Amino acid sequence: MKRRDFLKFGSATVATTALGSAGLISWSPRSHAATINKTFYVTDGLISQGDGVDVYFRGFSSNQGSLSVPGEHMIVQEGDTVNITIINTLNSSHSFVIDGISNNTVNSGRIRGGNSTTISFTADNTGTYLYYDARNAPYNRLLGLHGGIAVMPRGSNNELYPGSPTFSNPLGQYFWVFNDIDPVWHNALQNGQTPSTRYVPRYFTLNGLSGRPPGAPGAMDETVDSMADPRSKIDGHIGDRTLIRCLNAGKAQHAVHTHGNHMEWLSKNGQNRVDVWEKDIVPLDANGGSVDIIFPFDPPPDAWPPVTNNTLAQAESEGRHFAFPMHLHDEMTQTAGGGLYMFGALTDIYYHAD
Amino acid sequence: MGRRKSRNTRTETETATTDTSTSGMGGGGGMMGSACYVYPVRPAEVPALDSPDVVYSRGVDMSIPMTMDDGRVVNMWGFSDTAGGGGMGGGGMGSATFPSAAMRVTQGQVVHTQLNVGMMMYHTIHHHGIEPEYRSDGVGHLSWDVQGNYTYQWRPMHAGTYFYHCHTNTVLHAEMGMYGALIVDPPEGPGTAFEGGPSYDLEAIWAVDEIDSSWHNLDWAAGTCGGDLGLNELNPDYFIITGVDGAQSALTAPGIAVNMNRGDRLLVRYICAGYLPQQIRFGGLNAEIIASDGRPLPNPVNVTEIDAVSAERYDCIIEPSQRGTYTVEIDIKDWITGDVLGTARTRITVN
Repeated sequence: MKRRDFLKFGSATVATTALGSAGLISWSPRSHAATINKTFYVTDGLISQGDGVDVYFRGFSSNQGSLSVPGEHMIVQEGDTVNITIINTLNSSHSFVIDGISNNTVNSGRIRGGNSTTISFTADNTGTYLYYDARNAPYNRLLGLHGGIAVMPRGSNNELYPGSPTFSNPLGQYFWVFNDIDPVWHNALQNGQTPSTRYVPRYFTLNGLSGRPPGAPGAMDETVDSMADPRSKIDGHIGDRTLIRCLNAGKAQHAVHTHGNHMEWLSKNGQNRVDVWEKDIVPLDANGGSVDIIFPFDPPPDAWPPVTNNTLAQAESEGRHFAFPMHLHDEMTQTAGGGLYMFGALTDIYYHAD
Repeated sequence: MGRRKSRNTRTETETATTDTSTSGMGGGGGMMGSACYVYPVRPAEVPALDSPDVVYSRGVDMSIPMTMDDGRVVNMWGFSDTAGGGGMGGGGMGSATFPSAAMRVTQGQVVHTQLNVGMMMYHTIHHHGIEPEYRSDGVGHLSWDVQGNYTYQWRPMHAGTYFYHCHTNTVLHAEMGMYGALIVDPPEGPGTAFEGGPSYDLEAIWAVDEIDSSWHNLDWAAGTCGGDLGLNELNPDYFIITGVDGAQSALTAPGIAVNMNRGDRLLVRYICAGYLPQQIRFGGLNAEIIASDGRPLPNPVNVTEIDAVSAERYDCIIEPSQRGTYTVEIDIKDWITGDVLGTARTRITVN
């Protein structure tokens, strides 16, 4: 691995990755298949964690001068031809893999340092997938070489799969990509070594960021605070329904927990559930596990007096925010560096008046 | 979505900011030290409180010795029932049990949970799975942490199994035992699982938890200002069922071990009260999952074992057809390797 002065990033480069931002990743409901082209650059650098410690990462970045952890989320449509070019700017070998998205294998194979390749596939199967580097598994994935990609049903703008419960549109879907980080492992990998210590995660991220509670440095900075990150926090009005595609790039199993309303649990690990259960906890498996959920912005059912749009309007007129958290209930994930509760993998859910 | 607003949120809680007022005040019993990122300011008046149908009064007890089967005593924290004779200490203190006294209400009742926290520390009560107005949700950074008195107001609309726990420095406070069962009965009352749902003759509440005793000498605010206290890693050395050591005692503990007659219908309210993944096995008995997380399943599921993660609840009907003694085992697993770290056991005896 090449040695150099690592570019230090204050956070993942979120500014270019907001879902629905211009240009990427060209999904809107269509009756016809399209050709989607995307280029990822394998880059590396340091990212500051919640306790101020800099940790080494690699990512599938959207341009050569950035570091994106996770890589930019992609949404394509069933039947689309997807061309992905991976430019490996590092000296180490990497790969790009998506399991199950196509009827054919999607695996770039080895991309040697300084080389590039383009893979093409048809997005045959609707659902939520992790794209990741399968080389040197699981290390490269844990280092940050992963991201989420979704395949929408052909011609549909509000379903996970044809006939699924529906969500609101046009931007009523999110990715929550979780990761856990052992800086000792990352440091070993930075130095070209294979980790030899027991895996002990010390940082826990949602879409590459972690919480900064009110009053903390970086609080409400959407490039630092997962509670302010527009890719992660969700906003809605009564009646809205938000699809959230949860992926776990890390090694720890999780319990996804929302306050405010139960989730509708639609799928697990790519399998659509026969029955949709209403849950306030949904299990998320490690090592690429996934679940798809819908968070319904219904009035919180157990509020007294009942919550109406007028309740929300009054709160807003008084400068109060009507919000609930989403956090992992395996509470070790809510820490950074062995302490700092609320500096972990969490975000907030905001109700707004019409 | 077209109506979505991009907002800079949480402005009012930012004014609450960091509280370090407890720094150096000392006092023992978990009240020493300084705190960061707790939110004592109540920027808005509490919701208008209606006349409640049910009132619970809870204080805080930071000294609950629990004797394990190996003879070791581990300190637990909990909520005392200050209306039920546990509030003699005043000032929000009073003796509590581990787990804290259960709450049991009927669907549709307006409930007040009065929390009284003594000086020099903060706590909240979050009624897990109950979804009230945000100011009654007990999450500090979105409302406030409580010092002194605060009343949560809620009206449960779905019968089922829940639990309540502290949501301040949660990683530590819930591990320390600050939780209790919360049962919502349907209008039919106890004996029916949910409105229009199946009946049962007897029930068991199994809140299965793991304890890392190395955390149990920490201060209530431990880690909130930083420092490596190891709160990223739980290494449990005790595995318990509803406050009883699952090594031996839970096999026969009254209220946990079940003694039933053939033909009876047992409702097991299983709460994964720890942080790590669990697997419960019913000793060869068949169980029908009828509800989870306070919601009926669209179709019940027949199982002999259930995998669960932190804070999931499963309501199961067991109707044994054969006499016998059945050992229920709950494995607590490493969240990374899946290795079994320990097993808690209890027993169903069918006469």
